[in-house]
Amino acid sequence: MNKRMLKAAIGLIVLAGLLVVPRFVESPYALHMMILLFLSVSQGQSWNILGGYAGQYSVGHAAYFGVGAYTTMMLMYSKQVAPWVGVWAGVAAVIAVALVIGSICFRLRGPYFVLASIAVAEIMRLSAINLTTLTNGAEGILVTEIPAFKIGERVVTDFLTKVPFYYIGLFLALLTLAIAYWVQHSKLGYYFQAIREDQDAAHSLGIHISVYKNIGLVISAVLTSLAGSFYGIYVGFVDPPTVLGLDVSVQIMLICIIGGMGTIWGPVLGSLLLVPLSEALRSNMITEGLVKIGLVSADSKVGLFLKENLAHAHVLIYGILVVLVILFMPDGLMGFVKKLASRRKREAA
Amino acid sequence: MPILEIKNVSKFFGGLAANSDVSFSMEQGMIMGLIGPNGAGKTTLFNCITGYYPPSKGEVIFNGRRMNGLQPDKVCKLGMVRTWQKVRPLAKLSVVDNVMVGALVRTISLKTARDMAMEQLKVVRMEHRADFLAGGLPIGERKKLEVARALATQPKLLLLDEVMGGLNPAESDEIIQLILDIKAQGLTQMVIEHDMKAIMRISDRIVVLTSGEKLTEGTPQEVVSNQDVIDAYLGESHA
Ligand SMILES: Nc1ncnc2c1ncn2[C@@H]1O[C@H](COP(=O)(O)OP(=O)(O)OP(=O)(O)O)[C@@H](O)[C@H]1O
Ligand SMILES: [Mg+2]
Repeated sequence: MNKRMLKAAIGLIVLAGLLVVPRFVESPYALHMMILLFLSVSQGQSWNILGGYAGQYSVGHAAYFGVGAYTTMMLMYSKQVAPWVGVWAGVAAVIAVALVIGSICFRLRGPYFVLASIAVAEIMRLSAINLTTLTNGAEGILVTEIPAFKIGERVVTDFLTKVPFYYIGLFLALLTLAIAYWVQHSKLGYYFQAIREDQDAAHSLGIHISVYKNIGLVISAVLTSLAGSFYGIYVGFVDPPTVLGLDVSVQIMLICIIGGMGTIWGPVLGSLLLVPLSEALRSNMITEGLVKIGLVSADSKVGLFLKENLAHAHVLIYGILVVLVILFMPDGLMGFVKKLASRRKREAA
Repeated sequence: MPILEIKNVSKFFGGLAANSDVSFSMEQGMIMGLIGPNGAGKTTLFNCITGYYPPSKGEVIFNGRRMNGLQPDKVCKLGMVRTWQKVRPLAKLSVVDNVMVGALVRTISLKTARDMAMEQLKVVRMEHRADFLAGGLPIGERKKLEVARALATQPKLLLLDEVMGGLNPAESDEIIQLILDIKAQGLTQMVIEHDMKAIMRISDRIVVLTSGEKLTEGTPQEVVSNQDVIDAYLGESHA
């Protein structure tokens, strides 16, 4: 069996496994973790298309995530628009935002895009806080009831369990991966990478720089918007910090940077590391674990300190992790894996 | 009709005239040598011709079309492409992928682009390097990669900026042969080079620049016997 067939076979088995998970796993918590994983993959991979392939670092992807989430939620909340319709309004809004940013910043050289991306996300966040008639301001929008999804008279799902969300999340992650794969294996991907590697060389070889950067931005923004809409509907609640905060933008970048930029599997690896890690930090699992293996006792000073503080050290631990990855694995987890593989190949030869 | 006409082109950087009032024209199929001491304005002239800078004054006319104000990507699509004196490989892409980026200006199909790229790699005798990372190539091969990538855009006019710079004599000879092969295919070329022997061998005509101005123009024989050229440029090495 050749390598390609082996890869395809493994892919199919994993896919089949993912498809049947909800049949065997009943724990809502486990499904919830899987959904977060899918969400993370699609966020990281969306960012990757622009940041990893085209080399344009957006530190404001929360803008697209939040606008997608808010548009869908606002329409559902005040106009009773079904989310699978509202999603497309979110996409349209996000395309408009992306093209405004892109057409201004991509004409310029230098760090303008990075700075503008942060600024735009902040503008969106402040707008969400202040346009209270539309957005409910800092209170956020809570929508607990999603209309049942019907085809004709038949109810496909009424969204009462996590299972439909599991499948939507899976679909979203696969869709994003497929689009990234298609980009990588098309003229678009070659042009993105040429721009990333050397803009002047790319320009002299016939590449219209700002057009291709805008294409990359729009693809990336639309996919991020879909992820945002999905998040809003799944959680049933959006407010400015959770979907438009700077830490949302940073989180999206980190999935890709830690996993490996400009690769298909990087954001998947990044998600496999970061989602469980952030969950463990949030729920204080690390402290409990340390107590369980007897490294610290629960009522000692250290134990109490950890219990009290580790959950809040989320951001700090993330920061340390990024520094470590950048120092020791400049090409992310994926780069590290590739290096190991090529070393083994060389040793075998 | 000349394929390229440079009419009174000037380029100012602040107070510095990197090109001033340069005019000449090129016929289809010829090789024009462009020489001059360091800082004479040769690369600047390439930049003006290929749209990297707009000329401050004057006109660039390619195939009867005024090129002023066109961006480099448009210039490339119209059939004029340059290589970079300071090479610009797409370091993290393989050699063949680098050349494919050039070919993709003429096609949307990766398969077609790959075939075109392999063809150009054969021309520069680098097929065996196709899957190497461009960033890891030695300088001689980086220079050849520049040429292959430019050729892959299927230009009508190829502008080569010191492709022999920093090469050993054997590598330079290979490039000379390559330039002559490209000429035999009917492609028009403008070549910047410091090596006088090489430029004499390949050029049909030579333009000499000093301090941004055109000192003289003529056949290689006329240029080397021109007293001004001997004084201004060849003086040091030929005296
Ligand atoms: N972007 C720029 N801004 C300011 N000055 C420039 C710029 N580009 C070139 N110059 C100046 O213009 C003059 C001509 O430079 P150019 O690079 O065209 O020379 P050249 O003939 O190619 O030299 P070399 O043989 O060293 O490559 C030099 O004095 C250079 O410093
Ligand atoms: Mg030069």
